[in-house]
Order: sequence, then structure tokens, then C-alpha cells
Amino acid sequence: MINLTINGKKEEFAEETTVLEASKTLGLKIPTLCNNEFIKPYGGCRLCLVEVATERAPENSRMLPSCCTPIGNGLIIKTDSDRVKKARIFILQLLLSRTTDSEELKQLGRELGALVEEGALDPVGNYLLNRTEKPADTKCILCGLCVRVCAEVTERHAISFYKRGMEKEVRIPFNKVAESCIGCGSCAYVCPTNTITIEEVS
Amino acid sequence: MKLKPEDINRIAEKMHAATNLRDGSGSARIIVHMGTCGIASGARPIMKAFMDELNASGREDILFTTSGCAGLCSHEPMATIERKGETPIKYVELTPEKVHEIFENHVINGNIVTEYALGKGSERMA
Amino acid sequence: MAEFRTHLMLCAGTGCVSNRALEVKTALEQEITKQNLQNEVDVVSTGCQGFCAQGPIVVVKPDNIFYQLLDVKDVPYLVEEHFLKGRQVEKFMYNPPDSKEKIPTLDEIGFFKKQKLIALANRGLIDPEKIDEYIGRGGYKAAIKALTQMSSEEVIEEVLSAGLRGRGGAGFPTGLKWKFAAGSPGDEKYVICNADEGDPGAFMDRSIVESDPHAVIEGMMIGAKAIGASKGFVYVRDEYPLAVERIIKAIEDAREYGILGEDIFDSGFDFDLKVNRGAGAFICGEETSLIASLEGNMPEPRVRPPFPAVSGYNGKPTNINNVESWATIRHIINNGAEWFSSIGTEKSKGTKVFSLVGKVNNTGLVEVPMGVTVREIIYDIGAGVLGGKKFKAVQTGGPSGGCIPESLLDTPVDYESLAKVGSIVGSGGMIVMDEDNCMVEVARYFLAFTQQESCGKCPPCREGTRHMMNILTDITEGRGKPGDIDMLLDMALMVKDTSLCALGQTAPNPILTTIKYFRDEYEAHINDKVCPAKECKELIHFDINDNCTGCTVCAKNCPVSAIAGERKALHVINQDTCVKCGICKNVCKFDAVRIES
Repeated sequence: MINLTINGKKEEFAEETTVLEASKTLGLKIPTLCNNEFIKPYGGCRLCLVEVATERAPENSRMLPSCCTPIGNGLIIKTDSDRVKKARIFILQLLLSRTTDSEELKQLGRELGALVEEGALDPVGNYLLNRTEKPADTKCILCGLCVRVCAEVTERHAISFYKRGMEKEVRIPFNKVAESCIGCGSCAYVCPTNTITIEEVS
Repeated sequence: MKLKPEDINRIAEKMHAATNLRDGSGSARIIVHMGTCGIASGARPIMKAFMDELNASGREDILFTTSGCAGLCSHEPMATIERKGETPIKYVELTPEKVHEIFENHVINGNIVTEYALGKGSERMA
Repeated sequence: MAEFRTHLMLCAGTGCVSNRALEVKTALEQEITKQNLQNEVDVVSTGCQGFCAQGPIVVVKPDNIFYQLLDVKDVPYLVEEHFLKGRQVEKFMYNPPDSKEKIPTLDEIGFFKKQKLIALANRGLIDPEKIDEYIGRGGYKAAIKALTQMSSEEVIEEVLSAGLRGRGGAGFPTGLKWKFAAGSPGDEKYVICNADEGDPGAFMDRSIVESDPHAVIEGMMIGAKAIGASKGFVYVRDEYPLAVERIIKAIEDAREYGILGEDIFDSGFDFDLKVNRGAGAFICGEETSLIASLEGNMPEPRVRPPFPAVSGYNGKPTNINNVESWATIRHIINNGAEWFSSIGTEKSKGTKVFSLVGKVNNTGLVEVPMGVTVREIIYDIGAGVLGGKKFKAVQTGGPSGGCIPESLLDTPVDYESLAKVGSIVGSGGMIVMDEDNCMVEVARYFLAFTQQESCGKCPPCREGTRHMMNILTDITEGRGKPGDIDMLLDMALMVKDTSLCALGQTAPNPILTTIKYFRDEYEAHINDKVCPAKECKELIHFDINDNCTGCTVCAKNCPVSAIAGERKALHVINQDTCVKCGICKNVCKFDAVRIES
């Protein structure tokens, strides 16, 4: 049995699992963007960050991605502290600062309190939402779900990341033809911002 | 090739002399004073004589070096012998024959050959 | 006796080679032959000797005479004077910046005197392409001991008690890391050498791989024995072609001697190494990204756990260490844990190699015991600030580190003490800055670097460094707004808290420390549109004052013809045309060109 504390309550689990899964069974909502039950966790979007401390040093908590963090004996986890909430808002605002007009993202932003009127924003939020220009016209948040689904589920490797940092994109090989694509549509299905769409080609 | 530990030791031994030279560590040092006056009065054959003695002795812990004019131009060729922990001795008006005596007696055995010596020198062991 | 009476140890490290050291070598060999000294004087190419700003360098052994800044045209005179006539040549010797007196021998020169060489033990004393010379200085003795006389547990215990902490920057106890890998199940394990040294201004690892590649091989062999690995990789950044060449040759030479391969020293232990070259990504210095790159995948950090010690290269237990860490291992095995732990401080044992660069007189590689103060490194070893200017700050730890101001110069250099003042030891980069360095620009420079190198996996680093860099750029160009400093601080702390790997987590450090210690500079940029150091181009202009004699030299040298004036009359700079390159100020002999902000 694995014993730990989540949001101040002692919980017990029979099997090893991730903090994200464990929280789900307790009815706790942790938002995610790059997570999907059919593929390995990525830990990239950082939206699922929670505070984790150990019994030995309860004041010394770190922010860890709940999708990748296994539950363990003696852990003290907070999924809803101010620090966690602030981080979620920050992540959403960062993503909104790079994307143009994704309804899904905006909706999530409103739910998490990241997308609010200018007067209600703190200076960082105001900067990210109102004082900076979009680097490109895209809705892609580089969560990698499309790439990973194509690699791990259908194993076609038809699309992949290209370049790094701000130049990073999802592309087909040499931007020409994805010969191994089978048109399954999984990439469009998992995309959280509707960046990938399917077109009928006759 | 597949070297054993003994082979590694053998190679290390072979490199011993070079290692000592680069570390500047040795039990004795021979300094032949060159400079224009030194060379003019035959310092190079003296240098060669000392080097031949050294090679023949097979000793790897004795260093050899040169320095400039020692200042006593009328007494060239000159050499200073330093043994670790002992006072350096300057030898003057050297000939290849004297070199042999000095090498055997002083460098190897620590006995100063007073008849060829000038006095206690001032060059220090590094 | 040695074959030759004198060895000339000529530095053939990258710095000196770029400064034409190999031409000096050829000239020396030719001149020595010309003077018929070829049986007496040997020219030996060594690796980097560490005093990089003074190259080309030749150290004459056994006398230890240090010659520097040599040019091909100096060679005939040098050979005739010193090696034929025996007279040391003063004009090629070193003198400290505040004195004209020459210091003939290496061990008397301030730069070298206070150093304690462990990782750099063979510096300037061997030809790195000759394995026999490495063996001649005790090479592979530790490997023999570890392979034939010690158990894996004993080796790990020795490294653990020695207290060696990872020299790549994280400072994790090396012995503990080995223990985890050793304890992981499986008989296919790997050791990796991280030679991807990406910090701007850091060249410690380059120097070691170029100058003493066998030390790395020997360390890795001992580590492999300790954890139960039989294969290893050396991941070298491709921007170090000489290092790549030298490590490949060293591995070939070791293989030829049977020191790499099967049943090494009849111990039953197999081990071999492969060299992989990096391809221009700073993120590959991060261990999980490096492993991804080795696997043929795109380099991106993986979330840990699992740690590489449990699941690394191809999912197998892997121990990855930095070049300097590997090069230190053999000394711990040879001399013992107690010896190593007697050096340094309570929590930071041993020595560390720093690359001392920037506005400092003695530029180069410095290895000192942990606990030596920053002041000692900059002033005793570095001989103080270049040109007698006023010290302002020293950046330690590269783009992950922080700036240390004058008030904290007596901070000892060790993991805990530097962390306490907001910086890190990091890989060992130490960039000295003076009154002419703008600290806002310093932060911007490092953010531009981390933004360029961000792998892009997580938003806090990918987007965050972009925004922080933009804010800093705005401030340096006069577009900063009141409130920006605190906003920048907030953003920096959030990026630190939410980033996936150490690149993003430490990218804010230059911002946090420069604001902490130099907030007034930020305020001047924002509130007064002034750059106090007079470095930020948008906030400065060049002016000619009445020291001007009308010599017209400035006008003649101006690349954009922005200066007008008659002979013998005051010249004037056209502010619209001026690109603020600073050439006029450099060429003016009358100190008539001033920078105003």
C-alpha cells in the first residue's frame, strides 16, 4: 500500500500510478494539455504541475508534472495551492501569447482565470496578453500530441518536430510528402487547439 | 598488442628520464656557462663532454642545462655543479679531461675537486 | 640521461594554434637544425597550457623558463641566444601588468603560482598524441589498480568518500551517482562522457580533451568497472575539432595497446569507447537530451524519474559524467579518498578548473582548491582588471549563473557559498566585468543565448525566455516602462519555478542577480533613458570636445563618414549618420571623443 497526503488528506493507494491518475480517482481536477491516456506522458506543457514535498522536508516543495510523477510513500501533494494556481495561469498566458485565436485555448484560459479583462490582470499577465506581438500566425502550442500519437499508437512516424525553440514546428519530412501517413486522422483527433484539420482529397 | 601491468611499468621506466627533465627534478644539475665568451673559449666541447659522461653513466636523475655568461670571462669555459641540498660549486678553465674527473668525483660521488673549483657559486637549484 | 638535454614544451592547444603556434613550431625546428642542435633540443607539442592570452607559449625544460607571445620572426634570435649561447632571452618573458620586471620561470609567475593542478595535472608536460608520455607520468596506474586489485564496491566507496561532486555544474556527488547505476539491474550498462561544453566563455573541458585525452579514458574505464558497464561514449561538441581528433587518436592508441578492448590487463574486464560528435545544440549538455541525441532522437530533456542511472541510453542503466569529473577519478584512485577530501572545503572537496576571461589581465584556465575566494582568483591569479579599470562584477556559471558584485568578492568559490549569493559554480566559467559593462546588457546577452538554445519543449522556457529577452531589449533601447523591473522579476521567478529542465530553470539567474545588485542601472535605463556604463547604443551618443586638435584621423577612419571638420579645427559628429561603432574614440590620440548618455 502506498500512503501519501493530497491536499491535506491522507490517502492510500493499492497500486503504483501517477499523481495525475491518482488525483482523478479522488475526483480532483488537474488540467492538462499534452497528456493522453494512449501515449506515454510527456511532461512538456507544464499545465499539470503540482506541489510535491516529502515528509522529511515538508516546507521544501517542488513543482513537478503530475502526469509523470509516480505516487510514493510519504509524499505531500497539493493540487490546488496558490502556487499551483498561479503556475497554471502563467502557462496559459504564455500559450495565449504565442497563438492566434484558438477558441479552445481561450476557453481554457477563462476557466483557469488566465484570460480576464485588462484591469484584472497582474503586470506579467498584462504583458503576455496585451503588450507583446504574436511571433507567427498559428494555433499550435507544440504539445507534441500529434507527433507522439503518430509515433507510439500508429507507429507511422509521418510527422515530427522540426527545429528548436521559437522556430520549432510540426512538419512532414522535408516539408514535402509524408509517405508513411495512412490518413488515420489521429493527429487531428488529439490536437487540443484544432490546428490540424483533415481534408478530403479525391 | 595486449599490454600487461608489467609492460605499463616498463614504459613508465623508459620515460623516466624525460619525466624528470620536464619536472626539473633530479638529484644533481650540471650547468655549463655559455655566452659568446664561453663559446669562444670552447664551452661547446665541454658541454659535449659532460653530455657524453651523462649518457655513459646511464643516470636519469641528473639534469643538464646551460646558462649565459657567468661573468668571469677570463676563466671560461666554466660549469656549475649543483647537488640537491649541497652548495653549488663553480669550476673554471675546463678541459674535457677535467670534465671526466669532475663528473666522477663531484657529480656522482659528491666529492668536490677543489683544484679546479673557483668557489661557491650563486646559482640555485630550481 | 634523456635523449635530449632540453625539451621545449610548445603549447599546441586551440588558442595558441589559432595564434600560429604551429608556424612557430616549424620555425623552431628549422632553426634548431640550422644551428645543429637537433640532437640536443627537442620541440614537444603539448596541449593547452592554460595561459591562453599569452600564446604562442614555449616552456623550456628543465629550467622552466616561460616564453610567451612568440612570433615566427622571434625564433632565430631565440634559438641562437638561449639554446646555442645559453643566454635566456628577457624580452620574450612575462611581466605582470603593474611592473616592467620580467619573471623568468613558470612557477614564479602569479598566474601559475597559486594554482593546484589535479584535473590539469599533465598540463604542458606531455604530447597528448603520445600514449607513452601519458604512461610515463603515471598514466593507467589507477586503471590497473581498480581493475585488478579492487572490487566495484571498493571503487565506488573510494569515490564516494573522496566527496567528488559533478564538475559539469550540478555538483551531484559522483560516488552516489555511480552507486545508483551499479545498483540498477541488468548487465548492459553504459558510461558517457559529456564533452558538449556549451557555456559561452568556458573551455575547461576542451582543454582537457585536447591536452590529456587519456585521463578521460582512464577515468571512464574505472567508472565502467565500478558500475558494471562494458561500453562507453564520449560525446564531444563538433565545434571542438581538435578535441575530437585527439580523443579519437587516444582511443585508437589505447586499443592498440590492449588498454581498451577485451580482458584488459588480464582482469576479465572488457571496455571500449566510441566518439559521437554534437551538432550545435546547447541543450545536449543536459544529460537526458544528450542521451536522446546519442539514440538518434531529437534532443529534448526527459522528465526524471526515471534517472539515467536506472534507465538511460536505450533504456539501460547509464552513468554520465563531465570531462573534468572523469579526469579527476584516476587521482582519487591513485592517492586515495582521504587525500582528495583534505583539499577544498567541508562540502566541496578537491579542486575546480575555472576559465578566467573578460576584462582581466591574465586570461586562461585556472585550477584552484575549492574555497579559494573570487578575489584571489581575479587579483592574485588574474592580476586584476585589464587596463586598471574599476571592477564591477564577475559572472560565474555562464548563462545559468549570476553576477557577483564587488562587495561580495571575498565569497569563497564552492557550491554552497556561490549558491548563497544567487550564483552557481556551474561548469566553471568566470567572466570579469568592469565599469564599461552595462549590467542590463549582460542580462540581455545571456537571455539571447538561452532563448536561441531553448529546445522548445516547455512553454515557460520557450516563450518565457523570449519575453524576458524582449523586455530586456526594450529596456536597453530606451523603451522600458516604470513597473517593468518588478514585472521582469515576477516573470523570471515563474519561469524558474515551472520550467522542465535546468536550462529554463536557470535562464532567469542573470536577470535575478543583476536586478538584485545593480537595480540602479535598470532604473537609469527606464526612468532616465540613460545607460550609466555608456554601452547601450540606443542610449548613448558620441561627441567631440575641445581636446580636439583637428588632426582628422577620426574622420578618415569613420566607416560611415559621419565626422566633418577642417584641418586644425574642431571636428563634429553627425548624430544621424553615426552608428556608434567607437572607432573614432579608439583612434583619437587626444582623448577628444567622449561617450555621453
